[in-house]
Amino acid sequence: MVLFKVKMFGDENQTVVDQDVALLRSISEGDRGAFSRFYEQHCKLLFSIAFRILNDQKEAEDVLQEVFLQIWDKAGSYNPALGRPGSWAVTLTRNKAIDHIRAHERRSRLLESASTEILARAPGAATANEAVHGRADPELVSSAVAELPADQRKAIEMAFFSGLTQHEISESLNEPLGTIKARIRRGMLKLRERLEGVL
Amino acid sequence: MMDERREELAGLYVLGALAPAEQAEFEAVLGRDPELQRLVAGLYAARDALAGAVLAAAPSPGLKQRILAELAARDQKVVPLPARETGRDFPAIWLPWALAAAALVLCVVLYQAESGLKAKVREQAARIEALNQMADALRSETNMLQQAVAVLRQTTKLADVRIALLNSLLEDSPKAVAVSLWDNQQQSGVFVVQNLKPLPTDRDYQLWVLDPQNPAPVSAGVFQVDPQGNVRLQFKPDKRINTAGKFAVTLEPKGGLPAPTLKNLVLMGG
Repeated sequence: MVLFKVKMFGDENQTVVDQDVALLRSISEGDRGAFSRFYEQHCKLLFSIAFRILNDQKEAEDVLQEVFLQIWDKAGSYNPALGRPGSWAVTLTRNKAIDHIRAHERRSRLLESASTEILARAPGAATANEAVHGRADPELVSSAVAELPADQRKAIEMAFFSGLTQHEISESLNEPLGTIKARIRRGMLKLRERLEGVL
Repeated sequence: MMDERREELAGLYVLGALAPAEQAEFEAVLGRDPELQRLVAGLYAARDALAGAVLAAAPSPGLKQRILAELAARDQKVVPLPARETGRDFPAIWLPWALAAAALVLCVVLYQAESGLKAKVREQAARIEALNQMADALRSETNMLQQAVAVLRQTTKLADVRIALLNSLLEDSPKAVAVSLWDNQQQSGVFVVQNLKPLPTDRDYQLWVLDPQNPAPVSAGVFQVDPQGNVRLQFKPDKRINTAGKFAVTLEPKGGLPAPTLKNLVLMGG
């Protein structure tokens, strides 16, 4: 049953990726309808990420606006060999949100946010994956994320959501740099292995 | 078989945790290594899953409209000079005549400017001579255009078109001049500027329409000029104009403002 589910979601996701690639191609040719559809497809996930990093509705909306204008301007430079359109948009959003914090000289806020438990949530509260994809697929994803060892997950989250370099994470956690690198490597590979065929 | 070092770098790369120099070095390798590309694609998918595990939040419903409006505002200031234009907003039937009329007014202005230069700046005789030659050429065109406009007026094609000349209010750009051609029926116009100072990237010129029946000037969009100080653009004001009394241009922050900054008036006329 799980194998069937994995196969089913793998096929569905490939269709979504193909549609996204086609939308980006149309956007690069100035197609506003395609841009609008791409926005509807990705705005919830991207906004949730920006909001998680900035913890401010207005700033997160400012970042999302900048990201989508960037997508409009740079859709033609998207390279499918280096990841899916959704991954590209996530990278743009994360980087823009971190830049936003750095531009406002709020490094202390990054460090502060790095110390919080990022995935802690109230029972019943929906994740961005659930809000975007529905019920079943995110269950698999959430369990894969939740099963990561805490130290690995912590190092990964500090890098992605708080914008800390490997050296900064090492200093912040008072752990050797090699340990941090190994935790991130093991955690990311484990997550990839668990989700292979689903995403 | 992927070595641990490259796996470490790939993980840090998709999380954005590499220093800029490390990132550039990694991307150079990534570009020519299909096996590494597959690993990075898989890690991106894993990272996206992690990113999507945050609490769901939604942007306000108006955000999409704000983004689309920003794109529309950008379009308004794109002003390439095409060889020929057609379209509903600016009917081809009177466009050539309108442009001819604009050229006519500009010819007169240029001729006046040339005469003034003669009297004031003798040492620039060579340049004035060049202007004279241009004025002669334009003068012959003017005769043709006058005849054309006369014919056009007879056929009432220009009945709804208002032509306004805007003069410079700047001491450092006295030669700046503009012509506005306004079609009240279509609620759109063409604006032609010459010799206006190019702006830094954080500023824009903003065009305003002064309607006696509107208490406040109505924005007709922002624009930049090319390195020679020239531009031609089509414009459509934000609100309906009953009577285009005057036209004005102000210098504003990038993207323009809802109301003009009067101390920054650049051109005005009607």
